[in-house]
Parts: sequence; structure tokens; C-alpha cells
Amino acid sequence: MSDACRAGALSAIAAVNQDAACPLEFVPVERDPGGNIDRYAAGCADILATSNARHIIGCVTSWSRKEVIPTLERAGGTLWYACPYEGFEANEHVVYMHACPNQHLVPMISYVAPRFGANGFLVGSNYIWGWETNRVARDLIADAGGKVLGERYLPLGETDVSRLIAEIEATRPDFILNNLIGTSSYAFIAGYAELARRDPHFGPERCPILSCNLTECELSAIAGVGDGHLSAGPYFHDPDAHAWSDTVSASMPASSFEASAYASVCALAEILARNPTAQWTDLPKAFAGRTFQSPLGDIAIDPQTQHATLPVQIGRIEGTAFRTVSLSKGIAPDPYLSRYDRNAEFGRPGLRVVS
Amino acid sequence: MSRISRIPNLGGAKAFVLHRPHPNVQAITRQLSAIGLDAADCWPELPAEALAADFVFFDTDLGFDEQMPWPAGQAPMPLIALIGSEAPGRIEWALSQKADAQLLKPVGNAGVYSALLIARQAFEARRRLADEIAALEARVAERQTIVRAVTALSAQGFSDERAYAQLRSLAMGWQVNLEDAARRVVAMTQEEGSDDQSHRA
Repeated sequence: MSDACRAGALSAIAAVNQDAACPLEFVPVERDPGGNIDRYAAGCADILATSNARHIIGCVTSWSRKEVIPTLERAGGTLWYACPYEGFEANEHVVYMHACPNQHLVPMISYVAPRFGANGFLVGSNYIWGWETNRVARDLIADAGGKVLGERYLPLGETDVSRLIAEIEATRPDFILNNLIGTSSYAFIAGYAELARRDPHFGPERCPILSCNLTECELSAIAGVGDGHLSAGPYFHDPDAHAWSDTVSASMPASSFEASAYASVCALAEILARNPTAQWTDLPKAFAGRTFQSPLGDIAIDPQTQHATLPVQIGRIEGTAFRTVSLSKGIAPDPYLSRYDRNAEFGRPGLRVVS
Repeated sequence: MSRISRIPNLGGAKAFVLHRPHPNVQAITRQLSAIGLDAADCWPELPAEALAADFVFFDTDLGFDEQMPWPAGQAPMPLIALIGSEAPGRIEWALSQKADAQLLKPVGNAGVYSALLIARQAFEARRRLADEIAALEARVAERQTIVRAVTALSAQGFSDERAYAQLRSLAMGWQVNLEDAARRVVAMTQEEGSDDQSHRA
């Protein structure tokens, strides 16, 4: 995932540097914390202290983002964050360029509940993403008229999923919301495919696995066992959904991580082209009343929350790609779910006829 | 029983920030707007509209009772104290306002969201307890009525114990609490008494 973000940022930097119309040249300054949580704040501080860079594109996990925020606040830097997250944050030193819950989880449950049923089983890694996402999902499932048939967490990196699978088999939900990350997620998807072979109820056409952070980057890890399951995101590399020609398709980012990192550099280039010394204090004004060209389409960034307005897509896994099954454009961010309206999302609670 | 909503419904809520113009106020209103609230700041007094607000943030450093359009400690909404100086007298004053949560100054990029949720929860718990206490006090105040009702019923030839049991079954039959049933019994016996007197006249 971090490789995808890096690839997106570097190819956007190359594009900006080649663009004769753009008066800027970007020189990337890189630090690799290597996934070691204690090295993020130090790397961030080092960039801000030893170079004139004021904008950092990076971090994948929420934990690493929260680690660098105090450093950004002290040194006056900005983080352009290109990954989906669990919401409930709006820091002035962060620009949130990937989806927040009203752009992934809410549309996912709204899509699935009427088609597959509203009873869900929640699984997650013992980590902020799983806890917060499942917490909101409990409300959404109740609002959709369903029941949470189970909620289970695995330690980060755990690959023994047998108990989880047994519980799902026993409770027979309509869908499973998967907030496991990394190897736990791959082990779970493989174990679930085996369950589906024993019992057709658990096939993806009857009881799909839903993810809100699964992209093309991870499909090779679940090749052959992930087909038919669903993921939500602002972008999938699906040429048919966008009517891309082969040439266009080859030039488009391979995943939403790459696309969001690319979009971050595009927006930053447009801002710096107008004001080469723009820093965090200038951003709300720079975001107001305009859009930025990007592989995600022309996107706006809300000056108040610094979250991007994004397309929302639901994709179905087909081999190592996603087939888009639902696409809505221009979904404004609502990181605190302040505008969430259960009636608008799931219809009024059904009145039962009492005879 | 209604389900506790996990999605905190703060969208469109109205918050007043009672503080002199200062970057701290901007930091608070920025966070409030990002969360989806409608924020207004004012100084040195809360306007009348503040009575309809969902939250009020108030300054403890320079604050005084007369700023609020309600008696000290009786705000009709959750209050959040903005504390700069931790002088004991100022904290005592903030406590006299019955602040439900606090936010330390200088205010940075975070803190408002947790203050809102904590203040709302504390305020609702406090209000629920106050309602419960008021209801219990009202019931305690009716002790004498119960004694009078039991006496009236035992005057019909029952023992005290049976009279009390009868009062309880009347309460159940009328689907009211014991105190209300006692009041009815007392009222009925009084009516009968006055009827008797009119017959005699």
C-alpha cells in the first residue's frame, strides 16, 4: 500500500516536472520509516527541519498519521494523507485525500442491505480502524433494519481464523464486514472461500465479504479466493466503467491509493503554482470555491474539514481487478457523520401491518 | 428501550462561545464548524438566543455570573469551561456554573469534539438524576397522605395491614403509583364526609 502511494506521488511529480505550462519543479525528499511506528514522527521532523519542504505526502495507517500530527503542528507542516480512514478527525495540518466513512462505509451498507439483507457479522483487527468502523457499522445495520450477529477481533497479524469462520457458519449472516488488515484479512478471505465450498450460503452472490479499504494492491494476495466479494473506494482501475481506451487505461493509476497520492500532488502543484510559499495557514483559502484536476476527476477540497469531495464506487472482485457495480460522483465529505440521516439512507422504518 | 446511537448527531447543533475576541475563539469555532455545528461567539454577554443553544462554551478567566441569562448553575444546556489560569478561585467559579466539561487554553487543533460529547453525556445524566430526585422527593412528601388513606380504609373495619394491601391493589387497578392512589382515597373519603354533613343539614 505504501508502495502504491509512493508510486502515485512520484509519477505525479514526474508529470508536473514535465509539464511545460507548470512553473514548478518538485524535488522529492524521501524518508522510509519502514512500517516502524516510532520512526514516523522522527522522519517527519527530519524532513521539516533539514529541507524546505512544507508538504508531506505519506502515512498509511491511522496510527502513523496520529504519530506525525504533533510534529506537523510544531513545525508548521502539512500532511497529504492518501488512504481511507475511520473519520472523526479534521486537523488543520492534514489534507484528507481518500475516503472517510460517509464515502465508504455508509454507501457500502446502503448498497448491500437492500440487495443481500441487513444482518451482518463484523470482523476486525484489534486496531483503531476496526474498532471505529465496526462501531459505526452497528448503527448503520440497525438503521437498515438488521441485526449484528457477531463482532470479533483478531490481534494484528493473527492468521488463525478457524473460530471466526465457525461463528459465521453458525450465525448465517447476510454479509460480513471485514475490517481485518493485512495477513489476517488474506487468511480470513481464504478460510471463508473454503466455507463457501462446504455451504453455498456463504458464496459471494448470497453472503459477500465487504471491505472499505481493499484495493487492487492487495488482490494478488487473495487471488482465486476473493472473487465476487465487494469493496468501496473512490476509484477502481476499471476501464469499462469509465470508457477508457487502452492507452488511457495504461496511463491511469493502478489503485485508489495511487490515484489519491497522485491527486494530492496535482492539487499541491496547482496551489504552489499560484503561491509558491503556500503553507498550512494558506490552504483553506486556496481550497475555497475551486476544484483540482486529478485521476479521481475534478475534485473539491472542503476548506472547513480539509477532506476531499470524491466519487464513491462499489467494486466486485474479478481476479486481480475490480468490476464497478455502483458509481456516484461528487460525494461531499462528512467526517463526523454530522449530516447522516438514517431515513435518507435506508428509508423510513417499515410500518408493519397489524391485522 | 431506545437504542443508544453510536453516530453522535451533532450536525446543525448551535453552539455559543462566550469569550473575548481571541485566536482561541477562532480555534474553537473552526473545530465546531468542521464537526458540523453552527457556531457564534459573543462577549461580554450571552444574547437571548443563547437560551435556545445546544452548547455554550464560556471563559473562566474573565467570566462572571451576570453574563449568563440564567441563575448560576442552572444552564438549560451543556456548558464547557474554557480554562486558562488554573487559579483555584476561577475553577471554583467554573464549578459554580456547573460546567459539564472543560477545555484548556490555548486551544489547538483538537479537544472540542471530546468536550462536546463528554459535556452532553454529563448534562443529560445530571438532568436525569435531578428529575429522578424530584420525583422521589414528591413521593416522600406524600407519606402523610398514605397514612391518612390507610387510616380511612381501616375505618371500614380492616386491619392496618389489610388496609395497606387494599390501597396497593387499588393503585394497581387504577394503574397509578401508591401516592396517587392514596390521594384519591383521601379525596373520596373527604367527599363522603362532606356528603354526610350535607345530609345532616
